[in-house]
Amino acid sequence: MSRWRSLRRWESGLIALLAVVTVVGGITHPALLGIYNLQTMALNNADLALLAIGVAPVIITADIDISIASMLALCGVLMAKLWTDGMDIWLAIAVAIALGAVLGLINGLFVVLLELPALAVTLGTMGAYTGVAFLILGGQAIINLPQSLVTLGSGNIGGTQIPISLVVVLALAAALAFVIHLTSYGRSLFAVGANRQAALFSGIPVVRVRLLAFVIAGVFSALAAVLYVGNYDTAQATIASDQLLPAITAVILGGVSAYGGTGTIPGVVLAVVLLAVLQAALGLAGLSGQAQTIAVGAILIIAIGAGAGINAFTGLRRPRRRAAVSEQLGSG
Amino acid sequence: MSERPAVSASSRLRALLRHNETGLLGILVLITLIAAVAVPSFSSSGNPTEILDNASLVVIVAVGEYLVIVTRQIDLSTAATLGLSAYLIGELVGGLHVGVLGPVVGIVASLGLGAVLGLFNGLLVERVKMPAIIATLATLSIYSGLQVVATHGSQLYADQLPSWLANIVSESWIGLSPLVWAAVAVTVVVALVGRRTSWGRDLYAMGSNPEAARYLGIRTSRRTYQVFAACGALAGFAGLLYAGQYGNVDATAGNGFELTAIAAAVIGGVSLFGGSGTAFGAALGGLLLTEIENILALLKISIFAQQTLQGAAIVVAVAGYALISRRLDRPTRRQLGTAEDRGDSSAQAGSVPSAAQELRA
Repeated sequence: MSRWRSLRRWESGLIALLAVVTVVGGITHPALLGIYNLQTMALNNADLALLAIGVAPVIITADIDISIASMLALCGVLMAKLWTDGMDIWLAIAVAIALGAVLGLINGLFVVLLELPALAVTLGTMGAYTGVAFLILGGQAIINLPQSLVTLGSGNIGGTQIPISLVVVLALAAALAFVIHLTSYGRSLFAVGANRQAALFSGIPVVRVRLLAFVIAGVFSALAAVLYVGNYDTAQATIASDQLLPAITAVILGGVSAYGGTGTIPGVVLAVVLLAVLQAALGLAGLSGQAQTIAVGAILIIAIGAGAGINAFTGLRRPRRRAAVSEQLGSG
Repeated sequence: MSERPAVSASSRLRALLRHNETGLLGILVLITLIAAVAVPSFSSSGNPTEILDNASLVVIVAVGEYLVIVTRQIDLSTAATLGLSAYLIGELVGGLHVGVLGPVVGIVASLGLGAVLGLFNGLLVERVKMPAIIATLATLSIYSGLQVVATHGSQLYADQLPSWLANIVSESWIGLSPLVWAAVAVTVVVALVGRRTSWGRDLYAMGSNPEAARYLGIRTSRRTYQVFAACGALAGFAGLLYAGQYGNVDATAGNGFELTAIAAAVIGGVSLFGGSGTAFGAALGGLLLTEIENILALLKISIFAQQTLQGAAIVVAVAGYALISRRLDRPTRRQLGTAEDRGDSSAQAGSVPSAAQELRA
């Protein structure tokens, strides 16, 4: 029984799906697995990966943040603007990350302290943040950013073919996975998401846990901004506005329930890889960007529909952390 | 309306204040008066009718969205439905030569197309048990992808449309364009259905407490299909009018409309927690949003600052409604002691609003 347990996890299904897409795509279009294509995939999805894993804690606590792409744009614009005004680029990056934390905190304060629906609040701040980004740059774009930032976003590790941003993303994902799956804060996240009332009565500081989740989303959006601006060597208010849907899609596809309480960071990373490979394969097959969009939407529906269907028959579960949480609460 | 308390004068005042539309109408009148005095070109000929014309599509989609949100669901795919319908139905009626039957065919076809797309959303939510926000996010990308496939890079131009459709803004029936009348008609019908029929009361019951609604014998899954279909149908109808209003329809028609419509409903007092709000409120929200946009444009405030202000308006409106309704509700809730009974386990993301309140207490 326990030997089969790992096979019943949501992530196993993702790996299987990824294997199928990779094998089928690799056979029909060998270029899919060429080094150039793999590099491009890694570079162009680095920001998406950070957005997705960053918003995962918010969704795990049964909230939502649809302002992540706007926070990316605003942080990227501010960073570039500070640099053109003469600030050192590393200091500008630090300021941008701090701004991300503040923006996330603003979302969190509205949602948690004023007890407003997260969707409505972040719908509002989404417009507000993008608007502020526009006010800073007024429709212009900043290009020709310093070499150090461009190398960070689009260069390879010296002497190898491995993009620096890939390593950065994996390191940040590992750090976030550690926080979420191996610390008491992480366990509180799942407890709050599974049953807010019960978490409250168990003595979990629900307000602080939810606030911090929003701050994490803000910080990761800012980190995504650094890689995005470095990769494309462009900062303007409209950047990444089309990344919101793929990011949320990746989180849900990665096994995080939109009702909160379940999900894993490795699952979300796998989902980003799956979406990236699928998109590249469809592109090589000559399908337009819109056909790819349809495919992404369809995959989302099929994955969740199939998950629900199989679940009904065999008990295959999306990653469950509720059991772990209740054990924790029971022993504590 | 079932929960409206009666008797004493103070509670009657409360009941009046509880009507968000009263306050909203006040704000709308106030802004209009200030703008008429302070902004010279605001009351110039043509501008007031332009505001109404521009508000019409937002109002129609927002009123459809109201039906869905009241049941504690959400539909993010309305913009794609609108765009798809604008192109397909525009092309359909452009190629038809059936004389006076043209408008009938166009309206029925646009409502039908929208209803089918909306029904698919309902199916995902009710059958596949996907959270509405995720399901309609997925269909938003699917429908807008279909829109691009359908248009295959080409455009629909105004001269391809029949005259009844191309003239919906320029014609005038008793001072208002047919477009505005369509928005008025939709609002009145949905408002009556929402507040005066048992079907409408079912929706409020579902939004207030889905579980209790089921135990009451309300056919909740059937209602879910119906509200998504109705919301889609109205978005489809708005698509037909979009073609008439703007003339040109391409693959990007309607982009971003879903959030405007939701914003209008939210500003109009339709709670995303479900169970409260009215069609009139959603319509007033759409009108208010459009009027503010118009004033900012007249003041030559950049479109970028407009976006910021619009976003801020949403947050302020939501916060305002929450604070007002909490203040009004407090005594009643304390009497009944049910403040925390409203958050149930099947709630949408972001619910159980009383948790933080509890903590502070």
